[in-house]
Amino acid sequence: MFTTGSKLFFGATALSVACAVVFAASTGGPTGIMGTVGLLSLAIVFGFLAGINFFNADGNVPGMQQGAEYTAAAAQPPVGSSMWPLVAAVGVAGLVVGAVSTPVVFKVSIVVVLAATAEWMVQGWSERASADAQYNAGVRKRMLHPLEFPILGALGLGAVVYAFSRIMLSVDKESTPWVFMVIGALIAVGAFVFAGRRNASRSTIVGICTVGAVALLGAGVASAVQGQRTIEEHPTTSGSALCLEGGTEVEIDDHASQDVSAKSSVIANIFLQSNDVVIARIPGFTDPEDNFSTITVPRSADVGIRFHNDSSSPQRITARLGTFGDAAEVVMCTTVVNPGKEAFLSFKIPKTNAASSTPLELVIPGVEGQQIAIVVP
Amino acid sequence: MEQSEAMVSTREGQFAGRRRLVGLAAGVGLVLAGCAKNAPQDTFQPAGSNAREIDGLQRELFYVSGIVGLIVFAAILYAIIKFKDRGQDIPEQSHGNPKLEILLTILPAIILAVVAVPSVAAVFKLDKKDNDCVINVTGQQWWWEYDYVQGSTCGGVEITKSIVTSGELVIPAHTDVLLRITSRDVIHSYWIPRLNGKRDAVPGRLHTLRMQADQAGIYTGQCTEFCGLSHARMRQAAVALEAADFQTWVTNQTADYVAPEADTLAATGEATFVAQCSRCHQVNDLLSPDGTPVLAEPDLYVVSGAAPNLSKLMTRTAFAGWTFDLISAECRDKLWNAPPDEFGALYLQGVTPECFDEANLRTWLRNAPAMKPMYADPTKLASTGGKTRGMPNLNLTEDQIDELIAYMLERK
Ligand code: HEC
Ligand SMILES: [Cu+2]
Repeated sequence: MFTTGSKLFFGATALSVACAVVFAASTGGPTGIMGTVGLLSLAIVFGFLAGINFFNADGNVPGMQQGAEYTAAAAQPPVGSSMWPLVAAVGVAGLVVGAVSTPVVFKVSIVVVLAATAEWMVQGWSERASADAQYNAGVRKRMLHPLEFPILGALGLGAVVYAFSRIMLSVDKESTPWVFMVIGALIAVGAFVFAGRRNASRSTIVGICTVGAVALLGAGVASAVQGQRTIEEHPTTSGSALCLEGGTEVEIDDHASQDVSAKSSVIANIFLQSNDVVIARIPGFTDPEDNFSTITVPRSADVGIRFHNDSSSPQRITARLGTFGDAAEVVMCTTVVNPGKEAFLSFKIPKTNAASSTPLELVIPGVEGQQIAIVVP
Repeated sequence: MEQSEAMVSTREGQFAGRRRLVGLAAGVGLVLAGCAKNAPQDTFQPAGSNAREIDGLQRELFYVSGIVGLIVFAAILYAIIKFKDRGQDIPEQSHGNPKLEILLTILPAIILAVVAVPSVAAVFKLDKKDNDCVINVTGQQWWWEYDYVQGSTCGGVEITKSIVTSGELVIPAHTDVLLRITSRDVIHSYWIPRLNGKRDAVPGRLHTLRMQADQAGIYTGQCTEFCGLSHARMRQAAVALEAADFQTWVTNQTADYVAPEADTLAATGEATFVAQCSRCHQVNDLLSPDGTPVLAEPDLYVVSGAAPNLSKLMTRTAFAGWTFDLISAECRDKLWNAPPDEFGALYLQGVTPECFDEANLRTWLRNAPAMKPMYADPTKLASTGGKTRGMPNLNLTEDQIDELIAYMLERK
């Protein structure tokens, strides 16, 4: 006969088929096909479950059994009030609110409604799975814990990470290390204290953890609302309008590191020496005599150079990368760097230098007669 | 299988035994197949100091781990046989044995510490940075380009003018050569197994790899980072030449362009080349009829922005990712097996008319993507803005191909 379970699954099957038909009719393209296939698969799964349920039946009680009306699973009173109808109602309200306000609310509400429905269904079913309340509770756990634990765990972790990141972004740059050193120390000390007192009561621990979590989330939300601190950019390349002009101290960004980490990966190191002579050193040639006035750069490849300002005045390096066809000359440069500091400049030259009507070279604006020729074979 | 041990006398047991024998024979066969004597890409036959360093380290480690492995296997075998279930009582169960556990922690630590000494030493030796030659190596789908740093010296030979070649890396023997490896598109990896380990070619980065060859000769390799459709056809070789031969090679590579004689097939070929090929391929110093230089612009037609320089195509022995021979199998065998003192002279002959394997180049020019799978179908290039990966089919006529081959044959 149509037992409760099979009715549920037959209904779900019919609903999935209906959804598939509606989706197929309303949505075209690859999304339409994928969605329809997905919904039909769901229908097949539900149909299969319905079939199993239909043939195996669930715990219907033979009418002849003495006192069955009291002991049958279906005769047990509800275990207690369920919170899921309330949650589902909140979800539905959210759907309505979301439909007229922001899509995020709508999407979150869908998740809430789905989760509440699933929980509600399993709870309703499990409370009448047998006449034994304890067994029923166990069945519910067995069904839902494998889903609840990972999802709640991931959500919890996500909340912690999110809260921390918001706090880090809003605390000012200098104090961030201190704030987190203190928090870290507190956690470490707390862990030591806990470990030392094995007999601390469960409720104390839960209490402290709850206070910590609430504080963290609260601080996170407050920081998110306050917004992140202004994060300054430290450009290392300059607008090409300035490139052909000499260095000015005004332009120097003293907060930028002016040191370069990409040490091994450059095609050449360009030194502006203290005598205002410019030389290129090519990684691989280590002899101190190996100074070049030409560098060879493969075409159409991203390459970088490192500029060392060993002179006594602030300077930039400018790459004149050719004039091809009717296009304007390609010029790029670093920002001005202080004496003793370095800058990195990366570029890509698509064509051979023979195709350019202007020379390809690296120059230091303001330092006359010194250039490193770029050869693009 | 395990259970059949107990029923050896049954037919099934016999079959199991026979099957096992066949399996064993197949396994041994497979392992032995790895011992091919004539294997040009064998790391176990190092031909240069860097490769020898790696091979030496690998041997030491193999001995140490081999001994450890033997001891472990012997112990397991002993335990299996000694404590086989003969119906005896389960022996006394114990938990924890601090002395044994400390021993079993310290012993491997000591072994690892011992092994670390040659490993770390090898890392530093391989990382030495003083070189007598620096060559830029640029990978792209699916071939390697080499360019020699203009104004530098390579093994004492001055590089007065840029040299750009592909597939075949020519280096002076007995010389520390530093390769500066990068890529124009995806990640590739450069490996000449007999000369050194491999190094990834990563766009935007320049990775260095040192090579040194003990002897003149040809050392083959291939791209070892999966890089798309024709990854398997992205091969390369390093050719080591004695100093004098290397000087000759450099002189030839930097020599002026020699135009074909007027009214020859090759002269027609030059015009065809300018019309059909020069938009991608550079031939150095080639002039168009109006006297302006003919400059390739592969950046407009090829995704990677490069195509092989064909100025000296016939000084190489293979093409298109060093996959197809330019010389006949006979000539190739002769070259590959030449003794070191004869190798240089033979190699410097380049592709001679007797050795030229015309069929390969002809097939290539008829329809390159049919010979080497490449994304070059003109109807499917929307995502790359019409640019191809590799060389497209140019629908040349047989006459055009004849002319082009005549022209190409003189590029040496
Ligand atoms: C759209 C650009 C393009 C055009 C036009 C073109 N090629 Fe190519 N060619 C390539 C690319 C890219 C390769 C490298 C393919 C590979 O090895 O995977 C190549 C490879 C070659 C090679 C092998 C070179 C080597 O060193 O490995 C030869 C020879 C060649 N082309 C000849 C020609 C000739 C002759 C023409 C004119 C009929 C021509 N190509 C036209 C792009 C082009
Ligand atoms: Cu590759």
